Amino acid sequence: MLKLIYCELMKLRHAKMIPISILGAVSVPFMMFVEVLQMHAEHPEQEILLSSVYEDSILYMLLLANMMVSVAIASFLFSREYAENTWKTILPIPISRTKILWGKFCTLFLWDFFLTIVSWACILLFAGMCHVTFGMAEYSLVIALKWIPDYFLLTVLMFITTSPFIYIAQKTKGFVAPMIASAVIVLGSAALSNQKWGALYPWTASVLLLDGRVESTGYPVWLSITIILLVSGIGFLLTFLYFRKEDLK
Amino acid sequence: MDYVMETQNLTKRYQSATVVDHVSLHVPKGKIYGLLGRNGAGKTTIMKMMLQLVCPTEGTIRLFGMGYQEHISDTYRKIGSIIETPGFYTNLTGQENLEILAKLRGQIPKEAVKSALEIVGLDKEKKKPFSDYSLGMKQRLGIAAAIMHEPELLILDEPINGLDPIGISEIRQFLCELSHTKGTTIFISSHVLSEIEQIADMIGVMNEGKLVEEVNMEELHKRKRKYIRFTVSDSVAASTLLKKRCGIMDYETEDSTLKVYNDTFNVGEFNKLLVENGLMVTGINTCEENLEDYFSELIGGGGIA
Repeated sequence: MLKLIYCELMKLRHAKMIPISILGAVSVPFMMFVEVLQMHAEHPEQEILLSSVYEDSILYMLLLANMMVSVAIASFLFSREYAENTWKTILPIPISRTKILWGKFCTLFLWDFFLTIVSWACILLFAGMCHVTFGMAEYSLVIALKWIPDYFLLTVLMFITTSPFIYIAQKTKGFVAPMIASAVIVLGSAALSNQKWGALYPWTASVLLLDGRVESTGYPVWLSITIILLVSGIGFLLTFLYFRKEDLK
Repeated sequence: MDYVMETQNLTKRYQSATVVDHVSLHVPKGKIYGLLGRNGAGKTTIMKMMLQLVCPTEGTIRLFGMGYQEHISDTYRKIGSIIETPGFYTNLTGQENLEILAKLRGQIPKEAVKSALEIVGLDKEKKKPFSDYSLGMKQRLGIAAAIMHEPELLILDEPINGLDPIGISEIRQFLCELSHTKGTTIFISSHVLSEIEQIADMIGVMNEGKLVEEVNMEELHKRKRKYIRFTVSDSVAASTLLKKRCGIMDYETEDSTLKVYNDTFNVGEFNKLLVENGLMVTGINTCEENLEDYFSELIGGGGIA
């Protein structure tokens, strides 16, 4: 498996997708930075906590920006083999198709996690700039580090809820369909983020789960978790089944 | 005979279309087997089925004496392939692409990548990404990827596509050398019949998904008919004289050419007869049917390109 992941990483050398995805990951911290500046300009007396910046960022990352970036990366990883006609070079090498997919999934997870860390670090950096300028309460590395487990969980949830888009990328052999699908899903997430039904919508349920707000919707936590696992499970299963039986024309 | 690759009633159907129809091929060990056929005859699909890129609907494939799905790891380690225009990662250089393939294959010495690039003449293109390669360079890199691990069986689908005449000649020589000195079995398809004719020990001819003929080149040379070609001012009048005065019915006319298929035929006498009858003779040659003629006869003409 390590060999497959290493090869997947080698394939990304000089790929423009890496700087683009990093820019995507920086977008939420930057938006938060602007929001903090605006808040300070309007209400200079109001105390801004580093924790609240990290907490709000989770919502935007999982609901909007990083989710879209994750779908774009997943589509790139899986559809490029079709677009660049490389499957016919790779698949005659005696490695099972299942292992090849596992390699790609692991790479996607690592990439997602790397981008989450980039976002986390950028929040710390931008907050540091605010702290130096006008002071931010509780600004410390210790506070920032306390958010790492939450951000790791965010990566896991983002990764598993990306699986249906991977199947779409695999099936349509391109970028466009999964990106349109993710835009639709993200719109749905935004619309349901303050609704009770959000607990039943896997992409919003992930945010509610991280925020600890599922119970406030009236639905049990286990139901949200089951829905998330079911949708991601179906996504993974369809991707594996489709690829294992696919004829490469 | 010892076959490296065999198929039995190999069939592939896509919905109602039968692309490969009960094909039984036999590729002998250490030989170069040329697979010929028009576009859409099913050549590429057969190769893709052998490489597990496409799943057969019916039939069996045996590689190195075993079912193709038995001992997959050992079997496919011994195979190198190019299917149509080879695909590589466009953001990487040729060397980086080969390094990935070498890593995936495992057990390939580091020098193998460099040596493969040297063989195909790409060793100097160190910084050029694959996206900037010409068609010929892409094809060369495909050949390098196919031979890098010194396979016992090479499956090559149109490997000389896009190569210049010198490149074609180099690759032809290289393939012959591989087969003759290292005993590599080569299963190759091409629409350039003259290329196949120069290197193949055996050919298979496909038409509309069926294997019409499988024959070794020695046998084919015996079958190819010799003929005398007259270039005359009026080939129809010449053919009438041939029938009436010489009693020869086995001939063909085409524009100003008359082909006479008869070994015992007196060329001098017939030339004299033509001149006496006011026909101008501008050329007389003894010829042998080539692979293209044979192919046209077999599948009913029309070319294959």
